[in-house]
Amino acid sequence: MSDQYEYILKTEHVSKRFGTLEVLKDINLSVKKGEVICIIGPSGAGKSTFLRSLNQLEKITSGKIFIRDELFLHRENDHTVDKLPREKQQELLLEMGMVFQRFNLFPHKTVLQNVCEAPIIVKKEKKEDVEKRAKELLDRVGLSEKADEYPSRLSGGQQQRVAIARALAMNPEIMLFDEPTSALDPELVGDVLKVMKELAESGMTMLCVTHEMGFAREVADRVLFMADGIIAEEGTPEEIFTSPKAERTKNFLNAVLEA
Amino acid sequence: MKKSEMKKHSGQIITAIVIIVICIILGLLKPGRETLLSMTSPEMQKMIDADASSTRKRVTVTYNSLFIINYASLSTSGANVMSERYVGFLGKVYQADEGVMKVVGQMVNYTYRMLGVGENLMHGAKLTITLTTLTVLFGVLLGTLLALGKISKKKILSKLSGAYIFFFRGTPLLIQIFVVYFTVPGIFGFAWRDLFNVNDAEAVYKGAFIAALIAFALNSGAYCAEIVRSAIQSIDKGQFEAAKALGMSYGQTMTRIIIPQSIRRMIPNVSNEFIMVLKDASLVFAISLMDITTVSKNIMTSEGSYLVFIPALVIYLVITAFFGFIFDKIEKKFSVYE
Amino acid sequence: MKKKVLALVCSAVMLFGLTACGKEAETVTDTTAPAQESKPAIDISAAKLMSDGVLNVGCEVGYPPFEDFAEDGTTPKGYDVDIITAVADKLGLKVNIINTAWDGIFAGIGVNYDVVCSAVTITPERMETMIFSTPYINNYQAVVLLADDPKEVKSFNDLDGMSIALQKETTSDILMSDYKSTGTIDIQIVANEKVTSCFTQLQNGEVDAVVVDSTVADGYINSSKDFKIVYEDQSEPEQFGIAMAPENTALQAAVNQALKELEEEGFIKETYDYWFGAAAE
Repeated sequence: MSDQYEYILKTEHVSKRFGTLEVLKDINLSVKKGEVICIIGPSGAGKSTFLRSLNQLEKITSGKIFIRDELFLHRENDHTVDKLPREKQQELLLEMGMVFQRFNLFPHKTVLQNVCEAPIIVKKEKKEDVEKRAKELLDRVGLSEKADEYPSRLSGGQQQRVAIARALAMNPEIMLFDEPTSALDPELVGDVLKVMKELAESGMTMLCVTHEMGFAREVADRVLFMADGIIAEEGTPEEIFTSPKAERTKNFLNAVLEA
Repeated sequence: MKKSEMKKHSGQIITAIVIIVICIILGLLKPGRETLLSMTSPEMQKMIDADASSTRKRVTVTYNSLFIINYASLSTSGANVMSERYVGFLGKVYQADEGVMKVVGQMVNYTYRMLGVGENLMHGAKLTITLTTLTVLFGVLLGTLLALGKISKKKILSKLSGAYIFFFRGTPLLIQIFVVYFTVPGIFGFAWRDLFNVNDAEAVYKGAFIAALIAFALNSGAYCAEIVRSAIQSIDKGQFEAAKALGMSYGQTMTRIIIPQSIRRMIPNVSNEFIMVLKDASLVFAISLMDITTVSKNIMTSEGSYLVFIPALVIYLVITAFFGFIFDKIEKKFSVYE
Repeated sequence: MKKKVLALVCSAVMLFGLTACGKEAETVTDTTAPAQESKPAIDISAAKLMSDGVLNVGCEVGYPPFEDFAEDGTTPKGYDVDIITAVADKLGLKVNIINTAWDGIFAGIGVNYDVVCSAVTITPERMETMIFSTPYINNYQAVVLLADDPKEVKSFNDLDGMSIALQKETTSDILMSDYKSTGTIDIQIVANEKVTSCFTQLQNGEVDAVVVDSTVADGYINSSKDFKIVYEDQSEPEQFGIAMAPENTALQAAVNQALKELEEEGFIKETYDYWFGAAAE
């Protein structure tokens, strides 16, 4: 696999319509390896949809998505114009790990099985190797003693940490977080953010949709403010949080920080 | 909590052991076949002796043993009808030609016949249980395929599955049985019993059983398809997304993530389907097979005894209770994670 | 349950309505009075009937050529139908044929219908619970094979080892079950609700032979070249009679009188030849 690329992920003019509702309008974003980007903004801004379009959980209406500088998908007016061959697409998609708002752990499998499932059946890795790595990952998220429990016996925060370990087990190059702490009780948020912070510090490329302004400010290299399907403002945490330019950003931050 | 559960369990086990031991003792104490048949009257014995050298035998000897109790009867056919009946229990032989013992004898005989003890697998309770179990097994497998077809994004698959379900739910099972047994071989020029060895005397029943099983399984598949489909669709969409995000294919997602989770949700409905099939099994009368209901109806017509329906009900209840227990266990096994 | 209620209602009608019955019978004689010169109707004033002027007949329609539905699917036709219609005619009654399942057909006598005329064999067991008219046809048990089957069957003993289709709870069933249970021969009995199923099974090759009333066999041989009769058991002839409730001896006498007249008039022989073919006699 060649590491000779400029951007690990890039979108050009990405738009998405649900019927007549335009959720994403002409989104352009370039992500370099090792960058941590936080996407903030009011609900209904299209943040989650944008994230889900990247790993094909949503089909974009038009625009181009590049992964490692290769044209992954090009669509116009709901028709695919160009794309990589299926196997190549599949291979590149595995480079993206995803963490969901509602964890989506597999309830019928133990914590360890949740983490091991995909590497074994998708990547056909040896069970012993995967289990060894899975245990290390669980240790990293502080849940090694829960390996044989079923998800239903875990708190929300613990479940989300398992979900992070599960995504990491596939050795992705980039992690997508879709509001990972929104469904958690406030006292459980800290543990999850701690894990994410450690992950960022270890050099992982991350794209986080979040409402945790403190986290964004502390960890992000870049912050995007999305509203009404567009990136309304973009900059370093410093720029966005201390001297936002757009009126909307100001209003949003005022509202959030007051609460 | 756990302690009391254990207590309850050990109580059940002790009761079961005690019952089994009592049954074994009663079984050992009951008089043997020879003892029962040695009670024969001289006149009957004369008939039996005459039969030995005759090409047209006249005496029917029946011997039924049901674990703890047994029953024997000797009867003749023709102009001069004689019959003698005996019940053996706890080391004693009782005449069962009238009174309470006659009823006891009848009950033993009817139960024996309805259970199909002395018969092949295609008779009485054995037929009912084999047919029902295999039908539900194949029905669920076929139903799963049909359900996957129905929810498939491929239009042709979805349409075909839909048409199949419509056809088999929209036509009566009895007619489907007739078609499989009579019409299909008639058109294609084969016989169901050809599936078995020519020298197999029971080939005719086995052939009919295969035809019945095919008709039942095809029919049950249509009903199970709806059960499986609704179970699959009740699984959270997030499970599909998580599997997809981890790179699993559609097939992997279904077999490893979605279907295992839906099993628990389909069990109650599959259990209902099982009971429906158990009752529908009596339709095999149409192709010369005899399940519990058919045997009991036959006894009613030939002997005019309405008592036969009491053991029939008991047998059905025992079967339903046993399989209810099994389904309960399966459901528990598949919900350990909740 | 329903049957029980019906039975209660019927017996109540019978008990309290005897006078009414007599009255009705009188009117019947009155109406037939003008015909008296040519053919006097047989007196049935003492007989118990379920409804006035009508003979209700229980019949399992589906046993050709004795009883079967015509092409229209609703009109019963056949030997029994012709006989019972002629008998009723002699009694000055209309016939109402009630199609009934063979299972439990006798339980309906005096409850759902007055008589059963449905190829019923007169047997000592049956005579314990019902009474019969004089026999109106003789019948034997016959063995039917496929026309091209080379097997030789000279007695029932030659059926040893075969699969035999027969109609459930008929004389054929009783006889073959007896051969099997006494250990005379070892056969696989394939019992069906309808005799037509037996012949379909034979035709498809599911069974080796059909054992059936010779009269029925005659009918099938007449209409299809696929089958042949290889053996008729002349040693144990059976006679078919019209079954009635045991207390209805007055009806029995009247029916017997009618059958006697029909026999004398040659009607019975004529009807037999029509349904079973002259060769079959």
